[in-house]
Parts: sequence; structure tokens; C-alpha cells
Amino acid sequence: VPGAGAALRPCSSRVAQDGINKPVIDRIIRVDHAGEYGANRIYAGQMAVLGRSSVGPIIQQMWNQEKNHLKRFNELMVAYRVRPTVLLPFWNVAGFVLGAGSALLGKKGAMACTVAVEENISEHYNNQIRTLIEEDPEKYKELLQVIKQFRDEEQEHHDIGLEHDAEATPAYSVLKTAIQLGCKAAIFLSERI
Amino acid sequence: VRCQQYPPLRALQASAALRAASDEHKQEPWASSSQQHFDSPPAGHQPEEKPQGPHPSYTGQGGQESEDYESEEQLQHRILTAALEFVPEHGWTAEAIAEGAKTLGLSVAAAGLFHSDGSELILHFVSECNSKLSELLKKEQKLVQLGEAEKKPIDEFLRDAVEARLRMLIPYIEKWPQALSVLLLPRNIPSSLNLLTSMIDDIWHYAGDQSTDFNWYTRRAVLTAIYNTTELVMMQDSSPGFQDTWRFLENRVADAMTMSNTATQVQSTGEAVVQGLMGAAVTVSNAGTSRAVR
Repeated sequence: VPGAGAALRPCSSRVAQDGINKPVIDRIIRVDHAGEYGANRIYAGQMAVLGRSSVGPIIQQMWNQEKNHLKRFNELMVAYRVRPTVLLPFWNVAGFVLGAGSALLGKKGAMACTVAVEENISEHYNNQIRTLIEEDPEKYKELLQVIKQFRDEEQEHHDIGLEHDAEATPAYSVLKTAIQLGCKAAIFLSERI
Repeated sequence: VRCQQYPPLRALQASAALRAASDEHKQEPWASSSQQHFDSPPAGHQPEEKPQGPHPSYTGQGGQESEDYESEEQLQHRILTAALEFVPEHGWTAEAIAEGAKTLGLSVAAAGLFHSDGSELILHFVSECNSKLSELLKKEQKLVQLGEAEKKPIDEFLRDAVEARLRMLIPYIEKWPQALSVLLLPRNIPSSLNLLTSMIDDIWHYAGDQSTDFNWYTRRAVLTAIYNTTELVMMQDSSPGFQDTWRFLENRVADAMTMSNTATQVQSTGEAVVQGLMGAAVTVSNAGTSRAVR
């Protein structure tokens, strides 16, 4: 893919910003933006169902952190002139449905969903950190910092989910596998489209 | 696009053939023609001007080989730029490229480096126009940042940017319909589409678009439609100074603004209606329960 980008450069009017690996950074920011957007919608769905329950405040707190993440990626997206994924309207609905659906399974269901999603996201962020460090840790210092911080916070969400009896959900492993498959598909598609 | 795909051996052969031919046809010294397009002299051709001193010839050739490979693209770039001057007369054809090559002191066989339908010449031209537009928009942005110019309202900005870009076609307007049809060849569509989308993205970027949702796509789609239709109108326009085209452009941009305002209005009206219905439902249910209590 970097080769394809270089081959197109003579005929493109876009200037590579300071010699960064544009295709790689594009993908990273696009998929992370889509991820945070989706996470926002998942928590919104969970709040719609469980907002007034005992786990409401905790979900709200996690949701606020995701809102901050999304805000940060919006800024990065504009700064690096990255195209958002065309599937955003779809993630809008799918995220909300997933959040509300898992919450309808009860508080433990919502927590199970959180655990599944956050585990996937943490692993995904770790992969990106590896990629960026392999490329050039100095050039991408700011981006690395952001991703590392977000990865730590997503890990926290994962742990909070476990603390709140996520594993006690009926059919926990089935639910978790299904959600993680969905997340992997979402990541694959958002990187490309 | 072809320019990046030559393997080194072919490049060496091609450059060697061109240089051999140009040695026969040399009307003017190499250096003067090369100054037109470079700040530093083309590395691959220096050995012809100054003998390479202490280097034994085989090492000199090895160094030449890699230098020639890099300047292959630059060479093509120079030929195509020179060829543009002959497009109004010959069209986007191998003849124009051959004439351009001649002005650089090269053999007309240089036109053999390119497709006979003029694809590379047209793509080169479009790429150059896009770069010029980018430069123009960047300069304007700097002026605004320095406070030396007013920030234009969006519709005026878009109108001016599209007009500036379309004006670059004026010297070639007779032959532009031919160019458009070549750009639509399946072989050229990936490149021409890429050039079009990056130009539209550039215009929106300098217009200050910061959308990160589906609006990103809507805005670019709308502007692409405006650009393409205005370009087609320009092909048919015979009014003085293309005023009909610019008026068409102004109307299309105004339409787009109206559409986006209408869309916003519809959305807020819709939200207000939903809230009204919810309120009515709550009122009715409260009235019902209070009556039941009584």
C-alpha cells in the first residue's frame, strides 16, 4: 500500500505532510475515530435502558470518557486531513442497538458487552502502538501518546466491567465471542471504507 | 500512472537512446534548456558537460545509472510541460509531445515514451493545474491569517476557487472536450478520479471545512457536481469572457447553500415536532392519571 501511495504522488495535488506515512496514519485515525464514535453510541444505548438503574452513574462516567476520546479524534482527523469512514451512519445505529440490546439483557449483560468491546479495543490500540513504534516513534510521538492514554482508559473500562459481574451473565462466552467478531469486522471495514 | 513503473534497465536504455539522439540533434547547449525547469542541473546529464575527472568510466556509468533512473520521471515531467505549449495547435496528441521534446533538444522519438492518446499529457496538465490551485489557495489563506485580507463567506470562496481552477482551461478550451473523453477511458479513471477528488478536498480544506461525519462526503459530492457541470457548461459557452459560465456557477453554488439551509431547517423543525408530540403525550397521560385519581 505505501508503494501505491508513492506511485500516485506525481499525479496527486496533495502534499504529504512532513514526510509522514500518509496511508498508514490515514487508516489509524479513520478506524480509531470510527471506534470511538461507535463506543459513544454503545454507551448511549446502554444509558437509554439502564440510565436510571444502579449502574447508571458508572456507565455515564465511562461514556463521558468516550466523549472526550471522540473529541480528540475529531481534532486529529482535521489536523491530518483524514477522511472519515463512509460507514459512520451505520455505526451510529449499530452501536446504539448493541448498547441497548445488551442492556436489555440486564446490568450484567451491559457489563459483558463493555468487557468484550473494551478488550478488543485495547488489543487494537496495542497493535497500532506497535505499528507506529516500528515506523518511527519520534515522528509520531504525539499520536503515540494519545493512543497509549486511550488504551489505558479503555483497559480501565474493561476492568470496571469485570468488577460489575460481567462474567456472571448467562451465555457470557457466546455473547462475548459474538460481540468481538462484530468488532473485528467493524475494524476491518472502517480501516478500508 | 506509468511514470513510476519503469524498471531501471529500461530507464537506462531509454535515457541513453534519447541522449544519443539528442547528441545528433543538439541545437542548443543542454544546460540552457535544463535551466527552465530545474534549480539544480539534472544529475544524469552532468557528465556530458564536465568529464568525470578521477572516476573510471565504469563507476561513472554505475553512478549515471541510478541518477538516470531518478531523472527519468523528471525528464518526462519536463517533456510534458514543454508539450503543453503545442496543445492548442496539435491537440492532446503524440505530435504535441514530439514538438515539446524538440524544444528541449530531444529526439521526436521521445514521444514514444508515452501513450499515443495523450493520457499522460492530460493527467500531467490536470495535476499541474491542481498544484497551482493549491498554491493559490494557500497564499490566500496566509493573507487572511496575517489579517491582510477578509475571510470570504463560504459561497464566495467556493465560487472563486472553482472559477480560478476553470480559468486555467481557457488557453486549451478548444481541445478540452477531447481531453475529457480521454480522462474517462477506463485505464485513466483511477488517476483522473484521484486527481478530481483531491482537488475538491483541497478546496473544502481551505474553505475551512472541519466536518468529521457524513457531511464530509455530502459536501464533497455537492462540490464535485458543481465543478463537473460548470466545466461542461464552459465547453459550450461562447459568451464574452465566459460570463454565462460564471453566472451558472454562481447559481449552482447558491442552490447548494439553499439546499443545506433547507436541510438544517427541516431537521430542527422535525426535532421540534417530535418534542411537541412527546409533550402532548405526557400531558394526555398526566390528565388521564389525575382524572383516575379523582
